[in-house]
Amino acid sequence: MARILSILAAGIGQTVAITAAAFVLGAVAGFPLALMRRSPYRVLRMPAAAVIEILRSIPPIVWLFIVYYGIGSDVVKLSTFQGAVIGLGLIAAAYLAEIYRAGIDAVARGQWEAAKALALPRRATYQRVILPQALTVVTPPAATYAIGLLKDSAIASVIGATDITFRAVQETQANLHGLSVFAVAGLLYIALSVPIAAVARYTDRILAQKVAK
Amino acid sequence: MTAGERPADASGTGRRAGEAGPDRSPVPLLRLENISISYRGHEVVHEVSLDVSPGEVVALIGPSGAGKSSLLRCVNFLEVPAAGTVYLEGRPVGFVQRRGRSVPANATALAEHRREVGMVFQNFNLFPHLTAVENVMLAQIHSLGRSKADARERALKELAHVGLASHADAKPAKCSGGQQQRIAIARALAMDPKLMLFDEPTSALDPELGIEVLTTMRRLADEGMTMIVVTHEMHFAEEVADRIVFMADGRIVEQGPARQVMREPVHERTKRFLAAVTDR
Repeated sequence: MARILSILAAGIGQTVAITAAAFVLGAVAGFPLALMRRSPYRVLRMPAAAVIEILRSIPPIVWLFIVYYGIGSDVVKLSTFQGAVIGLGLIAAAYLAEIYRAGIDAVARGQWEAAKALALPRRATYQRVILPQALTVVTPPAATYAIGLLKDSAIASVIGATDITFRAVQETQANLHGLSVFAVAGLLYIALSVPIAAVARYTDRILAQKVAK
Repeated sequence: MTAGERPADASGTGRRAGEAGPDRSPVPLLRLENISISYRGHEVVHEVSLDVSPGEVVALIGPSGAGKSSLLRCVNFLEVPAAGTVYLEGRPVGFVQRRGRSVPANATALAEHRREVGMVFQNFNLFPHLTAVENVMLAQIHSLGRSKADARERALKELAHVGLASHADAKPAKCSGGQQQRIAIARALAMDPKLMLFDEPTSALDPELGIEVLTTMRRLADEGMTMIVVTHEMHFAEEVADRIVFMADGRIVEQGPARQVMREPVHERTKRFLAAVTDR
Protein backbone atom coordinates (compact mmCIF):
# COMPACT_ATOMS: atom_id res chain seq x y z
CA MET A 1 0.00 0.00 0.00
CA ALA A 2 2.74 2.39 0.92
CA ARG A 3 4.50 1.52 -2.34
CA ILE A 4 1.34 2.28 -4.37
CA LEU A 5 0.89 5.52 -2.53
CA SER A 6 4.43 6.63 -3.20
CA ILE A 7 4.15 5.76 -6.90
CA LEU A 8 0.88 7.60 -7.33
CA ALA A 9 1.91 10.53 -5.14
CA ALA A 10 4.63 11.26 -7.66
CA GLY A 11 1.82 12.27 -10.02
CA ILE A 12 0.24 14.77 -7.63
CA GLY A 13 2.48 17.53 -8.91
CA GLN A 14 1.31 17.04 -12.53
CA THR A 15 -2.36 16.74 -11.54
CA VAL A 16 -2.25 19.90 -9.45
CA ALA A 17 -0.19 21.81 -12.01
CA ILE A 18 -2.46 20.86 -14.94
CA THR A 19 -5.58 21.72 -12.95
CA ALA A 20 -4.25 25.02 -11.68
CA ALA A 21 -2.78 26.15 -15.01
CA ALA A 22 -5.89 25.13 -16.99
CA PHE A 23 -8.12 26.92 -14.48
CA VAL A 24 -6.06 30.10 -14.66
CA LEU A 25 -6.07 29.96 -18.47
CA GLY A 26 -9.83 29.41 -18.41
CA ALA A 27 -10.43 32.16 -15.85
CA VAL A 28 -8.49 34.67 -17.94
CA ALA A 29 -9.68 33.64 -21.41
CA GLY A 30 -13.24 33.19 -20.20
CA PHE A 31 -13.57 36.85 -19.34
CA PRO A 32 -13.33 38.38 -22.84
CA LEU A 33 -15.51 35.51 -24.08
CA ALA A 34 -18.17 36.45 -21.54
CA LEU A 35 -18.02 40.13 -22.49
CA MET A 36 -18.25 39.25 -26.20
CA ARG A 37 -21.18 36.98 -25.44
CA ARG A 38 -23.00 39.93 -23.84
CA SER A 39 -22.04 42.41 -26.53
CA PRO A 40 -24.80 44.28 -28.34
CA TYR A 41 -22.88 43.65 -31.57
CA ARG A 42 -23.57 40.46 -33.47
CA VAL A 43 -20.05 40.31 -34.90
CA LEU A 44 -18.75 39.85 -31.36
CA ARG A 45 -21.61 37.89 -29.91
CA MET A 46 -21.91 35.21 -32.57
CA PRO A 47 -18.31 33.96 -32.69
CA ALA A 48 -18.15 33.88 -28.88
CA ALA A 49 -21.36 31.88 -28.74
CA ALA A 50 -20.03 29.50 -31.40
CA VAL A 51 -16.69 28.96 -29.64
CA ILE A 52 -18.41 28.33 -26.31
CA GLU A 53 -20.89 25.92 -27.85
CA ILE A 54 -18.19 23.97 -29.71
CA LEU A 55 -15.92 23.67 -26.68
CA ARG A 56 -18.77 22.47 -24.51
CA SER A 57 -20.07 19.98 -27.05
CA ILE A 58 -16.88 18.07 -27.83
CA PRO A 59 -16.01 15.40 -25.24
CA PRO A 60 -12.88 16.55 -23.37
CA ILE A 61 -10.99 13.42 -24.34
CA VAL A 62 -11.65 14.02 -28.04
CA TRP A 63 -10.77 17.68 -27.69
CA LEU A 64 -7.46 16.79 -25.99
CA PHE A 65 -6.57 14.48 -28.87
CA ILE A 66 -7.41 17.23 -31.33
CA VAL A 67 -5.25 19.74 -29.48
CA TYR A 68 -2.34 17.42 -28.78
CA TYR A 69 -2.15 15.32 -31.93
CA GLY A 70 -3.75 17.76 -34.33
CA ILE A 71 -2.45 21.19 -33.48
CA GLY A 72 0.35 19.90 -31.31
CA SER A 73 2.29 17.88 -33.88
CA ASP A 74 1.29 19.58 -37.12
CA VAL A 75 1.64 23.21 -36.18
CA VAL A 76 3.69 23.66 -33.04
CA LYS A 77 5.37 21.14 -30.83
CA LEU A 78 3.49 20.80 -27.54
CA SER A 79 4.62 18.90 -24.48
CA THR A 80 2.01 16.63 -22.92
CA PHE A 81 1.71 19.14 -20.10
CA GLN A 82 1.19 22.06 -22.49
CA GLY A 83 -1.30 20.06 -24.53
CA ALA A 84 -3.28 19.16 -21.42
CA VAL A 85 -3.28 22.72 -20.07
CA ILE A 86 -4.30 24.30 -23.37
CA GLY A 87 -6.92 21.67 -24.09
CA LEU A 88 -8.53 21.68 -20.65
CA GLY A 89 -7.95 25.43 -20.28
CA LEU A 90 -9.98 26.24 -23.38
CA ILE A 91 -12.84 24.06 -22.22
CA ALA A 92 -12.62 25.80 -18.84
CA ALA A 93 -12.75 29.16 -20.63
CA ALA A 94 -16.03 28.18 -22.29
CA TYR A 95 -17.64 27.06 -19.03
CA LEU A 96 -16.29 29.95 -16.98
CA ALA A 97 -17.44 32.42 -19.65
CA GLU A 98 -20.98 31.19 -19.10
CA ILE A 99 -20.52 31.38 -15.32
CA TYR A 100 -19.21 34.96 -15.65
CA ARG A 101 -22.07 35.87 -17.93
CA ALA A 102 -24.62 34.56 -15.44
CA GLY A 103 -22.80 36.48 -12.69
CA ILE A 104 -22.91 39.73 -14.62
CA ASP A 105 -26.55 39.19 -15.57
CA ALA A 106 -27.36 38.60 -11.89
CA VAL A 107 -26.38 42.16 -10.98
CA ALA A 108 -29.57 44.18 -10.61
CA ARG A 109 -30.62 46.29 -13.59
CA GLY A 110 -30.84 49.29 -11.29
CA GLN A 111 -27.08 49.16 -10.80
CA TRP A 112 -26.52 49.67 -14.52
CA GLU A 113 -29.09 52.44 -14.56
CA ALA A 114 -27.52 54.22 -11.60
CA ALA A 115 -24.12 54.00 -13.28
CA LYS A 116 -25.59 55.36 -16.51
CA ALA A 117 -27.44 58.16 -14.77
CA LEU A 118 -24.17 59.14 -13.07
CA ALA A 119 -22.43 59.15 -16.48
CA LEU A 120 -19.96 56.57 -15.23
CA PRO A 121 -17.75 55.44 -18.11
CA ARG A 122 -18.12 51.85 -19.26
CA ARG A 123 -14.81 50.74 -17.80
CA ALA A 124 -15.50 52.20 -14.36
CA THR A 125 -19.01 50.75 -14.47
CA TYR A 126 -17.59 47.26 -14.92
CA GLN A 127 -14.60 47.65 -12.62
CA ARG A 128 -16.20 49.50 -9.74
CA VAL A 129 -19.86 48.57 -9.86
CA ILE A 130 -20.71 45.41 -11.80
CA LEU A 131 -17.75 43.05 -11.41
CA PRO A 132 -17.34 43.39 -7.63
CA GLN A 133 -20.97 42.37 -7.28
CA ALA A 134 -20.78 39.66 -9.95
CA LEU A 135 -17.79 38.15 -8.16
CA THR A 136 -19.89 36.95 -5.23
CA VAL A 137 -22.29 35.26 -7.61
CA VAL A 138 -19.50 33.71 -9.66
CA THR A 139 -17.37 32.24 -6.86
CA PRO A 140 -19.46 29.20 -5.86
CA PRO A 141 -20.06 27.83 -9.39
CA ALA A 142 -16.46 28.64 -10.36
CA ALA A 143 -15.21 26.65 -7.37
CA THR A 144 -17.47 23.76 -8.29
CA TYR A 145 -16.03 23.91 -11.77
CA ALA A 146 -12.46 23.92 -10.36
CA ILE A 147 -13.18 20.69 -8.48
CA GLY A 148 -14.70 19.19 -11.63
CA LEU A 149 -11.61 20.25 -13.53
CA LEU A 150 -9.36 18.52 -10.99
CA LYS A 151 -11.18 15.30 -11.76
CA ASP A 152 -11.28 15.91 -15.51
CA SER A 153 -7.53 16.47 -15.47
CA ALA A 154 -7.28 12.67 -15.26
CA ILE A 155 -8.08 12.70 -18.98
CA ALA A 156 -4.67 14.28 -19.54
CA SER A 157 -3.21 10.85 -18.85
CA VAL A 158 -4.41 9.66 -22.27
CA ILE A 159 -2.00 11.98 -24.01
CA GLY A 160 0.71 10.92 -21.62
CA ALA A 161 0.77 13.59 -18.96
CA THR A 162 2.35 11.85 -15.99
CA ASP A 163 -0.37 12.65 -13.47
CA ILE A 164 -1.94 10.47 -10.78
CA THR A 165 -4.15 8.56 -13.21
CA PHE A 166 -1.32 7.97 -15.69
CA ARG A 167 0.77 6.42 -12.96
CA ALA A 168 -2.15 4.37 -11.70
CA VAL A 169 -2.72 2.94 -15.18
CA GLN A 170 0.97 2.10 -15.56
CA GLU A 171 1.17 0.47 -12.16
CA THR A 172 -1.96 -1.58 -12.87
CA GLN A 173 -0.64 -2.77 -16.20
CA ALA A 174 2.67 -3.72 -14.61
CA ASN A 175 1.40 -5.48 -11.51
CA LEU A 176 -2.27 -6.27 -12.09
CA HIS A 177 -3.70 -5.07 -8.80
CA GLY A 178 -6.05 -2.49 -10.24
CA LEU A 179 -8.57 -2.24 -7.43
CA SER A 180 -6.18 -1.12 -4.73
CA VAL A 181 -4.25 1.14 -7.10
CA PHE A 182 -7.34 2.98 -8.32
CA ALA A 183 -8.80 3.10 -4.80
CA VAL A 184 -5.68 4.93 -3.68
CA ALA A 185 -5.92 7.19 -6.75
CA GLY A 186 -9.50 7.99 -5.79
CA LEU A 187 -8.46 8.85 -2.25
CA LEU A 188 -5.76 11.15 -3.57
CA TYR A 189 -8.28 13.02 -5.72
CA ILE A 190 -10.58 13.40 -2.73
CA ALA A 191 -7.70 14.71 -0.62
CA LEU A 192 -6.91 17.28 -3.30
CA SER A 193 -10.47 18.52 -3.79
CA VAL A 194 -11.14 19.10 -0.09
CA PRO A 195 -8.79 22.08 0.16
CA ILE A 196 -10.24 23.62 -3.02
CA ALA A 197 -13.72 23.45 -1.49
CA ALA A 198 -12.41 24.94 1.76
CA VAL A 199 -10.72 27.84 -0.02
CA ALA A 200 -13.90 28.43 -2.03
CA ARG A 201 -16.06 28.55 1.09
CA TYR A 202 -13.64 30.94 2.75
CA THR A 203 -13.51 33.26 -0.29
CA ASP A 204 -17.26 33.14 -0.57
CA ARG A 205 -17.69 34.21 3.04
CA ILE A 206 -15.23 37.10 2.74
CA LEU A 207 -16.88 38.35 -0.46
CA ALA A 208 -20.38 38.07 0.96
CA GLN A 209 -19.33 40.14 3.95
CA LYS A 210 -17.77 42.75 1.73
CA VAL A 211 -20.89 43.23 -0.33
CA ALA A 212 -23.69 42.90 2.18
CA LYS A 213 -22.59 44.49 5.44
CA MET B 1 -42.56 77.03 -30.95
CA THR B 2 -40.43 79.50 -29.05
CA ALA B 3 -41.37 81.02 -25.75
CA GLY B 4 -42.38 84.28 -27.39
CA GLU B 5 -44.92 82.62 -29.63
CA ARG B 6 -46.67 80.87 -26.80
CA PRO B 7 -50.32 81.80 -26.34
CA ALA B 8 -51.09 84.33 -23.66
CA ASP B 9 -52.60 81.53 -21.66
CA ALA B 10 -49.12 80.32 -20.67
CA SER B 11 -48.41 83.30 -18.45
CA GLY B 12 -51.87 83.21 -16.95
CA THR B 13 -53.49 80.05 -15.74
CA GLY B 14 -51.46 77.86 -18.07
CA ARG B 15 -53.60 74.85 -17.60
CA ARG B 16 -54.80 73.75 -20.98
CA ALA B 17 -53.85 70.18 -21.70
CA GLY B 18 -50.46 69.82 -23.35
CA GLU B 19 -49.67 73.47 -22.70
CA ALA B 20 -46.33 74.50 -21.25
CA GLY B 21 -46.29 75.92 -17.76
CA PRO B 22 -45.36 79.31 -16.35
CA ASP B 23 -42.47 80.83 -18.18
CA ARG B 24 -39.88 82.67 -16.17
CA SER B 25 -37.00 82.52 -18.55
CA PRO B 26 -36.71 83.03 -22.28
CA VAL B 27 -35.01 79.64 -22.68
CA PRO B 28 -36.44 76.80 -20.61
CA LEU B 29 -33.86 74.73 -18.78
CA LEU B 30 -35.50 71.64 -20.14
CA ARG B 31 -37.80 71.28 -23.09
CA LEU B 32 -39.45 68.05 -24.10
CA GLU B 33 -40.90 68.37 -27.57
CA ASN B 34 -43.44 65.91 -28.97
CA ILE B 35 -41.93 63.00 -27.06
CA SER B 36 -43.29 59.55 -27.86
CA ILE B 37 -42.05 56.45 -26.08
CA SER B 38 -42.79 52.89 -27.09
CA TYR B 39 -42.41 49.68 -25.15
CA ARG B 40 -42.32 46.52 -27.24
CA GLY B 41 -44.43 48.11 -29.93
CA HIS B 42 -46.83 49.58 -27.40
CA GLU B 43 -46.81 53.36 -27.19
CA VAL B 44 -46.78 54.48 -23.53
CA VAL B 45 -46.19 58.20 -24.11
CA HIS B 46 -47.84 60.05 -26.99
CA GLU B 47 -46.31 63.25 -28.31
CA VAL B 48 -45.87 64.95 -24.97
CA SER B 49 -44.33 68.41 -24.75
CA LEU B 50 -43.18 70.00 -21.53
CA ASP B 51 -41.03 72.99 -20.63
CA VAL B 52 -39.31 73.36 -17.27
CA SER B 53 -37.87 76.72 -16.23
CA PRO B 54 -34.74 77.12 -14.14
CA GLY B 55 -35.55 76.76 -10.46
CA GLU B 56 -38.96 75.31 -11.14
CA VAL B 57 -40.28 72.27 -9.27
CA VAL B 58 -42.63 70.18 -11.37
CA ALA B 59 -44.63 67.32 -9.91
CA LEU B 60 -45.69 64.65 -12.38
CA ILE B 61 -48.76 62.88 -11.07
CA GLY B 62 -51.26 60.43 -12.47
CA PRO B 63 -52.41 56.83 -12.33
CA SER B 64 -49.87 54.06 -12.81
CA GLY B 65 -49.32 53.27 -16.44
CA ALA B 66 -49.81 56.93 -17.35
CA GLY B 67 -46.26 57.16 -18.69
CA LYS B 68 -44.92 59.46 -15.96
CA SER B 69 -41.83 57.40 -15.19
CA SER B 70 -41.15 56.71 -18.86
CA LEU B 71 -41.30 60.43 -19.60
CA LEU B 72 -39.00 61.20 -16.68
CA ARG B 73 -36.52 58.50 -17.67
CA CYS B 74 -36.34 59.82 -21.19
CA VAL B 75 -35.00 63.14 -19.88
CA ASN B 76 -31.64 61.43 -19.27
CA PHE B 77 -32.14 58.79 -21.94
CA LEU B 78 -32.52 55.80 -19.67
CA GLU B 79 -35.52 55.47 -21.96
CA VAL B 80 -34.84 56.39 -25.55
CA PRO B 81 -37.79 58.20 -27.09
CA ALA B 82 -39.20 56.77 -30.30
CA ALA B 83 -39.85 60.30 -31.50
CA GLY B 84 -39.44 63.86 -30.30
CA THR B 85 -36.56 65.92 -28.99
CA VAL B 86 -35.13 66.68 -25.57
CA TYR B 87 -33.51 70.10 -25.19
CA LEU B 88 -31.33 71.08 -22.24
CA GLU B 89 -30.73 74.83 -22.14
CA GLY B 90 -31.84 75.06 -25.73
CA ARG B 91 -29.46 72.37 -27.01
CA PRO B 92 -30.98 69.20 -28.42
CA VAL B 93 -29.56 66.13 -26.70
CA GLY B 94 -29.51 62.42 -27.29
CA PHE B 95 -29.30 62.74 -31.03
CA VAL B 96 -26.71 64.19 -33.31
CA GLN B 97 -27.06 65.41 -36.87
CA ARG B 98 -25.11 63.24 -39.23
CA ARG B 99 -25.41 63.78 -42.96
CA GLY B 100 -28.65 65.62 -42.48
CA ARG B 101 -30.15 62.80 -40.47
CA SER B 102 -30.77 62.57 -36.78
CA VAL B 103 -29.01 59.55 -35.28
CA PRO B 104 -28.71 58.43 -31.66
CA ALA B 105 -25.77 60.05 -29.87
CA ASN B 106 -22.86 57.86 -28.84
CA ALA B 107 -22.09 57.00 -25.24
CA THR B 108 -19.71 59.93 -24.79
CA ALA B 109 -22.27 62.52 -25.87
CA LEU B 110 -24.95 60.92 -23.71
CA ALA B 111 -22.60 60.86 -20.72
CA GLU B 112 -21.98 64.57 -21.16
CA HIS B 113 -25.72 65.17 -20.94
CA ARG B 114 -26.25 62.80 -18.03
CA ARG B 115 -23.56 64.56 -16.01
CA GLU B 116 -25.84 67.60 -15.91
CA VAL B 117 -28.94 65.70 -14.88
CA GLY B 118 -29.17 64.04 -11.45
CA MET B 119 -31.46 61.09 -10.94
CA VAL B 120 -32.98 59.54 -7.84
CA PHE B 121 -34.63 56.14 -8.23
CA GLN B 122 -37.53 54.48 -6.49
CA ASN B 123 -35.26 51.68 -5.26
CA PHE B 124 -32.30 53.95 -4.44
CA ASN B 125 -29.92 51.86 -6.57
CA LEU B 126 -27.03 52.54 -4.25
CA PHE B 127 -23.91 50.47 -4.87
CA PRO B 128 -24.21 47.85 -2.11
CA HIS B 129 -20.52 46.97 -1.95
CA LEU B 130 -19.47 50.58 -1.30
CA THR B 131 -19.86 52.69 1.83
CA ALA B 132 -22.05 55.79 1.77
CA VAL B 133 -19.12 58.11 1.19
CA GLU B 134 -17.71 55.82 -1.53
CA ASN B 135 -21.10 55.80 -3.23
CA VAL B 136 -21.04 59.58 -3.38
CA MET B 137 -17.39 59.69 -4.46
CA LEU B 138 -17.41 57.16 -7.28
CA ALA B 139 -18.89 59.15 -10.15
CA GLN B 140 -17.15 62.33 -9.04
CA ILE B 141 -13.85 60.56 -9.59
CA HIS B 142 -14.60 58.51 -12.69
CA SER B 143 -17.10 60.72 -14.41
CA LEU B 144 -16.06 64.26 -13.47
CA GLY B 145 -12.37 63.49 -12.99
CA ARG B 146 -12.15 65.01 -9.54
CA SER B 147 -9.27 63.94 -7.34
CA LYS B 148 -9.96 61.40 -4.63
CA ALA B 149 -9.40 63.98 -1.91
CA ASP B 150 -11.70 66.55 -3.54
CA ALA B 151 -14.35 63.92 -4.15
CA ARG B 152 -14.17 62.78 -0.56
CA GLU B 153 -14.43 66.29 0.79
CA ARG B 154 -17.42 67.03 -1.43
CA ALA B 155 -19.04 63.69 -0.58
CA LEU B 156 -18.78 64.35 3.14
CA LYS B 157 -20.25 67.80 2.61
CA GLU B 158 -23.21 66.41 0.66
CA LEU B 159 -23.78 63.66 3.22
CA ALA B 160 -23.76 66.26 5.99
CA HIS B 161 -26.21 68.29 3.94
CA VAL B 162 -28.71 65.42 3.93
CA GLY B 163 -28.06 64.80 7.62
CA LEU B 164 -25.96 61.67 7.25
CA ALA B 165 -22.45 62.77 8.16
CA SER B 166 -22.34 60.07 10.81
CA HIS B 167 -23.16 57.35 8.26
CA ALA B 168 -20.30 58.12 5.87
CA ASP B 169 -18.57 54.81 6.45
CA ALA B 170 -21.69 52.65 6.63
CA LYS B 171 -22.64 50.24 3.86
CA PRO B 172 -26.14 50.82 2.45
CA ALA B 173 -27.43 47.59 4.01
CA LYS B 174 -26.74 49.09 7.44
CA CYS B 175 -28.90 52.13 6.68
CA SER B 176 -32.66 52.51 6.76
CA GLY B 177 -34.54 53.01 3.50
CA GLY B 178 -34.91 56.70 4.16
CA GLN B 179 -31.23 57.03 4.86
CA GLN B 180 -30.38 55.10 1.71
CA GLN B 181 -32.53 57.40 -0.37
CA ARG B 182 -30.87 60.44 1.17
CA ILE B 183 -27.46 58.96 0.34
CA ALA B 184 -28.73 58.55 -3.23
CA ILE B 185 -29.76 62.21 -3.27
CA ALA B 186 -26.32 63.21 -1.98
CA ARG B 187 -24.73 61.04 -4.68
CA ALA B 188 -26.68 62.86 -7.39
CA LEU B 189 -26.07 66.33 -5.92
CA ALA B 190 -22.32 65.83 -5.72
CA MET B 191 -22.28 65.92 -9.53
CA ASP B 192 -23.51 69.54 -9.55
CA PRO B 193 -26.54 68.76 -11.69
CA LYS B 194 -28.57 71.49 -13.34
CA LEU B 195 -31.68 69.44 -12.96
CA MET B 196 -32.78 66.69 -10.59
CA LEU B 197 -35.14 63.90 -11.55
CA PHE B 198 -36.99 61.97 -8.85
CA ASP B 199 -38.73 58.76 -9.88
CA GLU B 200 -41.21 57.96 -7.11
CA PRO B 201 -38.52 58.56 -4.49
CA THR B 202 -40.67 57.57 -1.52
CA SER B 203 -42.76 54.75 -2.98
CA ALA B 204 -40.51 52.05 -1.56
CA LEU B 205 -40.47 53.59 1.91
CA ASP B 206 -42.62 53.42 5.01
CA PRO B 207 -44.51 56.72 5.36
CA GLU B 208 -42.39 57.61 8.36
CA LEU B 209 -39.15 57.19 6.44
CA GLY B 210 -40.64 58.85 3.38
CA ILE B 211 -41.03 62.05 5.36
CA GLU B 212 -37.30 62.46 5.95
CA VAL B 213 -36.73 62.09 2.21
CA LEU B 214 -39.48 64.59 1.40
CA THR B 215 -38.03 67.02 3.92
CA THR B 216 -34.67 66.77 2.21
CA MET B 217 -36.32 67.33 -1.18
CA ARG B 218 -38.28 70.28 0.10
CA ARG B 219 -35.08 71.92 1.29
CA LEU B 220 -33.50 71.24 -2.07
CA ALA B 221 -36.44 72.97 -3.74
CA ASP B 222 -36.12 75.91 -1.37
CA GLU B 223 -32.47 76.20 -2.36
CA GLY B 224 -33.55 76.74 -5.94
CA MET B 225 -32.84 73.36 -7.50
CA THR B 226 -34.80 72.61 -10.64
CA MET B 227 -36.68 69.40 -10.02
CA ILE B 228 -39.05 67.04 -11.78
CA VAL B 229 -40.71 64.68 -9.34
CA VAL B 230 -42.84 61.71 -10.24
CA THR B 231 -44.81 61.17 -7.07
CA HIS B 232 -47.92 59.83 -5.43
CA GLU B 233 -47.40 62.15 -2.44
CA MET B 234 -50.15 64.66 -3.11
CA HIS B 235 -49.34 66.80 -0.08
CA PHE B 236 -45.78 67.15 -1.23
CA ALA B 237 -46.90 67.95 -4.78
CA GLU B 238 -49.26 70.64 -3.59
CA GLU B 239 -46.94 72.24 -1.08
CA VAL B 240 -43.55 71.98 -2.73
CA ALA B 241 -44.17 71.90 -6.46
CA ASP B 242 -44.64 75.10 -8.44
CA ARG B 243 -46.55 73.23 -11.06
CA ILE B 244 -48.44 69.98 -11.19
CA VAL B 245 -48.61 68.06 -14.43
CA PHE B 246 -51.32 65.41 -14.50
CA MET B 247 -50.77 62.57 -16.95
CA ALA B 248 -53.06 59.75 -17.99
CA ASP B 249 -52.80 57.25 -20.82
CA GLY B 250 -49.52 58.65 -22.08
CA ARG B 251 -50.70 62.23 -22.40
CA ILE B 252 -50.68 65.38 -20.32
CA VAL B 253 -54.30 65.88 -19.40
CA GLU B 254 -53.97 68.98 -17.31
CA GLN B 255 -51.32 71.17 -15.76
CA GLY B 256 -51.03 74.39 -13.83
CA PRO B 257 -49.97 75.95 -10.55
CA ALA B 258 -49.90 73.23 -7.93
CA ARG B 259 -52.61 74.54 -5.65
CA GLN B 260 -54.94 75.25 -8.52
CA VAL B 261 -54.69 71.77 -10.04
CA MET B 262 -55.14 70.17 -6.65
CA ARG B 263 -58.11 72.27 -5.54
CA GLU B 264 -59.88 73.19 -8.73
CA PRO B 265 -59.05 70.58 -11.33
CA VAL B 266 -60.75 71.27 -14.65
CA HIS B 267 -60.71 67.93 -16.40
CA GLU B 268 -62.98 65.10 -15.44
CA ARG B 269 -60.06 62.65 -15.54
CA THR B 270 -58.07 64.78 -13.11
CA LYS B 271 -61.01 65.15 -10.76
CA ARG B 272 -61.55 61.40 -10.71
CA PHE B 273 -57.89 60.73 -10.01
CA LEU B 274 -57.63 63.30 -7.25
CA ALA B 275 -60.82 62.10 -5.65
CA ALA B 276 -59.41 58.59 -5.58
CA VAL B 277 -56.02 59.46 -4.09
CA THR B 278 -56.98 62.21 -1.66
CA ASP B 279 -59.82 62.30 0.80
CA ARG B 280 -61.03 65.67 -0.29
